[in-house]
Amino acid sequence: MSNDVEEPAGGEKKRRVRYGMLVDLRRCVGCQSCSVACKSENEVPLGKFRTWVKVVEKGRYPDVSRHFLPSFCNNCEKPICNRNCPVKATYVRDDGIVMVNMHRCIGCMYCMASCPYDVRYINPLRKIVQKCHWCAHRLDAGLLPACVETCLGRALIFGDINDPNSEISQLLATNPVVTLKPELGTQPHVFYIGADADTMDPTRGVDIDHVHFHEPY
Amino acid sequence: MEPISPVTVLYNAPHQIPFQLPISQYFYFTGLSAGSFVISVIAVLGGKVEYKPLGKIGAILAPLCLILAPMNLLVDMTQPARFWHLMTYLPGYVNWKSPITYGVILLSTYPISATIYAYFVYAGNQKYAKIFAILGIPLAISVHGYTGFILALGKGRALWNTALMPTLFIVSAMVSGIALMIIMAILRNVFFMKDATEEEREKDATLIHGLGGFLGAAIITDLFLIFNAVLVILTSSKEAFEAAHLLLWGKFALEFVGIEIVLGGLIPLFIVFYPKTKSSFKWLSFASVLTMVGIFAMRFTVVVGGQSVPLH
Repeated sequence: MSNDVEEPAGGEKKRRVRYGMLVDLRRCVGCQSCSVACKSENEVPLGKFRTWVKVVEKGRYPDVSRHFLPSFCNNCEKPICNRNCPVKATYVRDDGIVMVNMHRCIGCMYCMASCPYDVRYINPLRKIVQKCHWCAHRLDAGLLPACVETCLGRALIFGDINDPNSEISQLLATNPVVTLKPELGTQPHVFYIGADADTMDPTRGVDIDHVHFHEPY
Repeated sequence: MEPISPVTVLYNAPHQIPFQLPISQYFYFTGLSAGSFVISVIAVLGGKVEYKPLGKIGAILAPLCLILAPMNLLVDMTQPARFWHLMTYLPGYVNWKSPITYGVILLSTYPISATIYAYFVYAGNQKYAKIFAILGIPLAISVHGYTGFILALGKGRALWNTALMPTLFIVSAMVSGIALMIIMAILRNVFFMKDATEEEREKDATLIHGLGGFLGAAIITDLFLIFNAVLVILTSSKEAFEAAHLLLWGKFALEFVGIEIVLGGLIPLFIVFYPKTKSSFKWLSFASVLTMVGIFAMRFTVVVGGQSVPLH
């Protein structure tokens, strides 16, 4: 794989850790626990979300169904936010997580305007841009992201996609998976099993003239 | 367009629209600056004595508008005190791939060059005025062209993500710049030429009518580019179609079709080419005001309308 790096000391090849998130929608019940856990863990202010579950109903009685789409930052392999950030406040860690340096962010909001997934927000208290970073602080401490830890149906599977023995790699290898907007070439790293096309389509099921965007504070 | 089976979004959390009115105003003012600078340079390089007043008007408008423009950016930033982060120019601190970084360099160099140019135009130093005119042209074009890149590289937004954007922005800058010049030139002719001879005023009037022709040509180019953009987004991706819907018969139809196309495009076009109205200062200034309002509506619909398509 192109992601391999040479281990300087041991001589044997060591794979680069590349984190990924797999959402098994067959197991998601839409309880919004991930949203709550994320808000609690990351002190996400009122009206803003790093993680949320989009809920869609479709069909006519009696042929109806309800679908969920847990949403995270896709921590893309080619993040457009990173390319466009003028002050390098957005940077990419070696394990693929896209971070925002809170001391460098000037709040120009260009990353928010260029992100195709609408996962970034302005923190009205800190006055900077923030986003889901898969709880990088927890990962560094050897823990799982708060949403993964709390997911009661075990619908969220998190791990190193470069490690062939990880649960996520095995599930990715044996299941049909999709990502959001793959046509944009950002190479998102949140994968979905059993996602509904109507739910993934941002323009379905909304009155395009009356979308309630969050008001800036 | 009734779907086969109804789909209803019960819950979703769209975040705020990031670029609002201040960014539209910023684009508008850089456009005015670039447009009036280019007209001024054409007048100075043209060399004829009767063009001189135009050169002077444009030379003063260009730096003035460009002082107003970045104020909007400071207002819009959530951390305005950190603006200097953009100007460290150190590797590892400034992202040279970002269009905003191109903008920071252009917004620092262009006003300086435009001010020096204005000084030489007013000092009557033709040689240096011409040198700085030629130096300033690429800066003026790129100071507005890069704003097109800001939008074009925001690849999440279907309305913005087109190679047409920088060209469209430069052309609309010309339109608004010429309109502003016409208003200023008419004001000068009416109020500040009281002691001039009849012949001089006549020459000045012909010049203003010539600008009216320029305005017409620029509006035609602008409308043609808008037509191209709309035709393509109507047949492109689903998000692009929804953006076209918003502009053509949706939420932004009044701003786009009503103000930008009809009030700011077709009506001024008629006025500057119709023989009975094109030689009247009143009609010409009316057309210029309409055009400037129309271009502001264009900035607003492109910036805010482009972000009004939900992304998730």
